[in-house]
Amino acid sequence: MTIAGRTVQPFESKGGPSMGAQDLSIFSLMSLLIFLFPILYISRYLKLGINRDILIGMVRMCLQLSFVGLYLEFLFKFDSPWLNTAYLLLMISIACHSILKSSNLKIGIFFKPLFFSLLIPFGIMLLFFNGAVARIDNLFEAKYLVPVGGMLLGNCLRSIIIGLTHFYSGLKKNEKEYLYSLSLFNNRAQALKPWFKESLVAAINPTLASMATIGLVSLPGMMTGQILGGSIPLVAIKYQIAIMGCIFYTEYFSVILSILFSLKTGFNAFDVLKTDIFQKDRN
Amino acid sequence: MISIESVSHDIGKTQIFSNLSLCVNKNEKVLILGKSGLGKTSLFRLILGFEQAGSGRILINGLNLDKDHIHQIRQQLFYLSQDIDLKNETILGLVRDIWEFNFAKELCQENLDQQLTFLELSPGILQKKTGELSGGERQRIGLLIGFMLDRPIWLLDEPTSALDDAMKKKIAIHILSLEKTLVIISHDHCWQNSSAVRIERWS
Repeated sequence: MTIAGRTVQPFESKGGPSMGAQDLSIFSLMSLLIFLFPILYISRYLKLGINRDILIGMVRMCLQLSFVGLYLEFLFKFDSPWLNTAYLLLMISIACHSILKSSNLKIGIFFKPLFFSLLIPFGIMLLFFNGAVARIDNLFEAKYLVPVGGMLLGNCLRSIIIGLTHFYSGLKKNEKEYLYSLSLFNNRAQALKPWFKESLVAAINPTLASMATIGLVSLPGMMTGQILGGSIPLVAIKYQIAIMGCIFYTEYFSVILSILFSLKTGFNAFDVLKTDIFQKDRN
Repeated sequence: MISIESVSHDIGKTQIFSNLSLCVNKNEKVLILGKSGLGKTSLFRLILGFEQAGSGRILINGLNLDKDHIHQIRQQLFYLSQDIDLKNETILGLVRDIWEFNFAKELCQENLDQQLTFLELSPGILQKKTGELSGGERQRIGLLIGFMLDRPIWLLDEPTSALDDAMKKKIAIHILSLEKTLVIISHDHCWQNSSAVRIERWS
């Protein structure tokens, strides 16, 4: 979602040149930091112990976004399909890494299945969006491919983390129940069904909830960005609707695939959950 | 039917048992007696392929217990675990799922009613969830599933521990009269009093 709020390279509304948002000077950006001081003070006073994390988070956000800003300028200038695709693949790889880290699953063995479970729905949805919905001539145009890809990926990230964590931690916790089902059904898929269903529902629930309230409470970042960038609200809304749909579809399929593709890695030949698939317990 | 040949088993660095051999013939009834902690339950888990033995060989009905035969083997085993680890769903849904998946046909209501009557369970129990059952009810539902699955080899881990004496006796007599290969782990006397039972003492 980080890219959603960018105002530098907005989508142009069809029909007319965009007005573009007012550029922000470095000084005016820095002026926002004054609100950080009371926060740091209060956190310290209340001994929340999160000041370090707040500072690290702020610095990381600034650095990462600045880097992306510079990189996107570069990417947009060249606008090479190969470069754009390579950038997306890199984003998927980083997403996989981050998902596995958060789900407490070993990165080395789960990376490959997870990579493909993201790539397939993500690639299909992205090309469909560019080709059939936005109807742009160059399917790999950086201006569309990179921000839209980033939004899809950012949202999938969260839901796959929920899905995989739910599935594998749930199974580990209730291993006896799973094994007992396995003995009664003599079929792994059938025995796993309840956990699979629970995980899928848990993973897509946040998106369902946000779809149900979107526009009532919050204006999504992408829309804000587009409107600031000069799009008329109706165009911005149409893009937002399309994107919400794409996010939901991509999430749904990537959660299913991420569980299905990981099974071969997660279970041994006797259909028993392997014990060495988890990262070292943090607690 | 079950042939365990000098099997050793460790979990982590703890040795559960070593050089264990046991042979159970077709339709034989074997009761394993011994203090807890001797790995009786682990033996069942090995036979079911939930854990793998460090050394030795296990044959079920002539089939080597390995990844190529595990499904054929599990298809012949009915396992009643000590805690009857059923998922928390309604009993009817659970029994129906298990039946329909195993036999690929609709649940036989007549069979179900018959088992309920024998186990002295009221039909109303089918609407309850497994989490709402008492220990004794849970055990009887576990057995009910076993009766309905009707698989040839039964591995029963403390099948009657939560039942009253009359029920213990009734169930032991009935199960021992079935044409099944049985391996039972139980501290209940009802299983020891029958001449059909061969007792294996572990120490």
